[in-house]
Amino acid sequence: MPFYAILNKEISRFASIWVQTIVGPLSTALLYQLIFGHQLSSVSTGIDGVSYSTFLIPGLVIMQVLLNAFGNSSSSLIQSKYSGNIIFILMAPVSQVGMYGAYLIASIVRGFIVGAAVLLGIVWFGQLMFSQVWAILYYAILGAAITGGLGLIAGILCDKFDQLAGFQSFIMVPLIYLSGIFFNIQHFSPFWKMLAMLDPFLYIVDGFRYGFVGEANFSIWYGALFVLVFAIAVNLIGIMLLKRGVKIKN
Amino acid sequence: MYALEINNVEKIYSNGHKALDNINLKVNQGDFIGLLGVNGAGKTSLISSISGINSFKGSISVMGHDVITDVVKAKLNLGVVPQELAFDPFLTVAKTLKFQSGLYGVKNNQSWLDELISRMHLDDKVNANTRALSGGMKRRLMVAQALVHKPSVIILDEPTVGVDVEIRKNIWEFIEELHKKGHTILLTTHYLEEVERLCNKIVMIDKGKIITESSKEDLINNTSSLPSSLDVDISGGDLLPEIADIVMSKTDSRVKFKIENSEQIVMILNKLVANGVKIENIHVNKPNLEDIFLQYLRR
Repeated sequence: MPFYAILNKEISRFASIWVQTIVGPLSTALLYQLIFGHQLSSVSTGIDGVSYSTFLIPGLVIMQVLLNAFGNSSSSLIQSKYSGNIIFILMAPVSQVGMYGAYLIASIVRGFIVGAAVLLGIVWFGQLMFSQVWAILYYAILGAAITGGLGLIAGILCDKFDQLAGFQSFIMVPLIYLSGIFFNIQHFSPFWKMLAMLDPFLYIVDGFRYGFVGEANFSIWYGALFVLVFAIAVNLIGIMLLKRGVKIKN
Repeated sequence: MYALEINNVEKIYSNGHKALDNINLKVNQGDFIGLLGVNGAGKTSLISSISGINSFKGSISVMGHDVITDVVKAKLNLGVVPQELAFDPFLTVAKTLKFQSGLYGVKNNQSWLDELISRMHLDDKVNANTRALSGGMKRRLMVAQALVHKPSVIILDEPTVGVDVEIRKNIWEFIEELHKKGHTILLTTHYLEEVERLCNKIVMIDKGKIITESSKEDLINNTSSLPSSLDVDISGGDLLPEIADIVMSKTDSRVKFKIENSEQIVMILNKLVANGVKIENIHVNKPNLEDIFLQYLRR
C-alpha cells in the first residue's frame, strides 16, 4: 500500500506537468530528426537497406527513454529533499526497498511513455521493421531501470540542483551521446571507438536498435546479459545508499 | 506498557556535536507532555530520533514497539508534526492527505479526512495547491497529515508557529479532544502559556540532557524559591526608600514588587498608604511556567 501510494504520486507528478515531461522531449526528438535526418541523409549507417533517417529513429527514442527515466527519479528525489517533504515518507512505515522500487518504476513508466510518444512522433520519417519486439521492450525497460537507478543515486548524493545538473551534463549526456545514437560506432575513429566500447549505454542502444532493424554491432546475448547485470548492480548500489540513509537521514 | 520509552539515548552528529546525552524518559499512555528547551537544546534531535529521521545510540519504543527492530508497528502508532514547514508542491490539500493515508496503508478514511480538513479550517482550500497556502495553513495541513492514521502517540514540534490566535485556539481544542480520547501527546512550543494550560507533565531539556521531569503541579508547587510578584496600580505620593529595593519594575501608574510571603504584601501596602500613595488596584502574581523555565536555565 505505501509502495502504491508513492508510485501513484510519482506518476501523477510527471503526468501533471506533461507539457514539460512529454511534449518537451517529443519536440526535441522531432528537431533532431528533422535537422540530422535531413542534413545527414547521405551518411552510411553500416546496415544494408537502412537509411540514416531510419537508423536515427531508435537512437532518438532510446535517448529520450534514458534521459527521462534519469530526470524523473533524480529531480523528484532532490526536489523532495530540497522542499523537505521527503520527511513524510521517511517518518511513515515505508521500507527503503518499497520506496526505492516506487521511484524506480515511476521512472521506467515515464521513460516508456516518453519513448512511445517520441516513437509515434518520428516513426513516419523512416521505414522501421519492428523485427524483434522483445528486444525493444527488454532494452527499453532495462535501459530505463539503469538510468532511473542512476537518477536515484544522483538524487541521493546531490544536495543542490546545480550538482544534479553537473551529474547530468558531465556524466549522463556524454555517455548517451557516445553510445551510438547518432552514428554507427563502427565508423568512429579508433580512439573514439575505444571510448565508446567502454560506454555501458552502447549495448542498450545497440540492442534497442536491433529490435527495430534486425541487425546489431555486438552479440545481442552478450549485450542483454551485460545490461541485465549493469541494471542489477546500479540498483543494488542505489538501494544500499537509501538503506544507509546517505545524505537523507542524520 | 509505556506510550513512549526512551533509554540511554545519545545522538552525536557527524560534526561531533553531541545533541542528546544519555536521555531517559518514560511517558505513560494518556499523558500530555510539554517538552521545553531553548533553541538547540536537543528537542528536535530527540523527536527526529523517535520518528526515524536520526540514527542514535540507545533504544526508543513507541507503544512497546522498538523504533529500530519493530519499525512498522512503531511508526503506525506515531504521528509527528515536524518543526520545519514541508509540503509537496505538486499536490493539493486533499491529495496530500490521501497520499499521507496511503503511506500508512489507511483506506476508506474520507470522513476522517473531511473532519481533519474542517477542524484545521482548510475547508475552502481543499482543492488548492499546497504552494498557494500561507505558512499558517501549511502548518495546519501538517497537523492534519500527522493525524490521518489516528496514531496513539502524537508529537507536535512547534505546531502553531505562524497560526492565527483564533485558529490556534481551535487547534488546541481539537488536540485536547484527542487527548481526552486517550491519545498521548508530546508537545514542544515556545508559547509556554499553552504548555501550562494543556500539559500534565513537563520535561525540560538543556544541552542534550533532561534537566527536570515532573508533573506540572509538582513543578510549580515545589519551586518555592521563586518569588511571586505584586502589581500595584497607584496614583500620587512617592515610594519610600525602604521598599524601593524590592521594586522589580515601575511605570507612572504601576509598580511591580518582588514578594517572598504574604506579610510582605501587608507591609508594602501599609507603607504606600502611609506615604500618601493612592492605591487603585492590586494583583498578586504566582510564579508561572515561564519563570520556572528561566530559573532552570540559569542553574
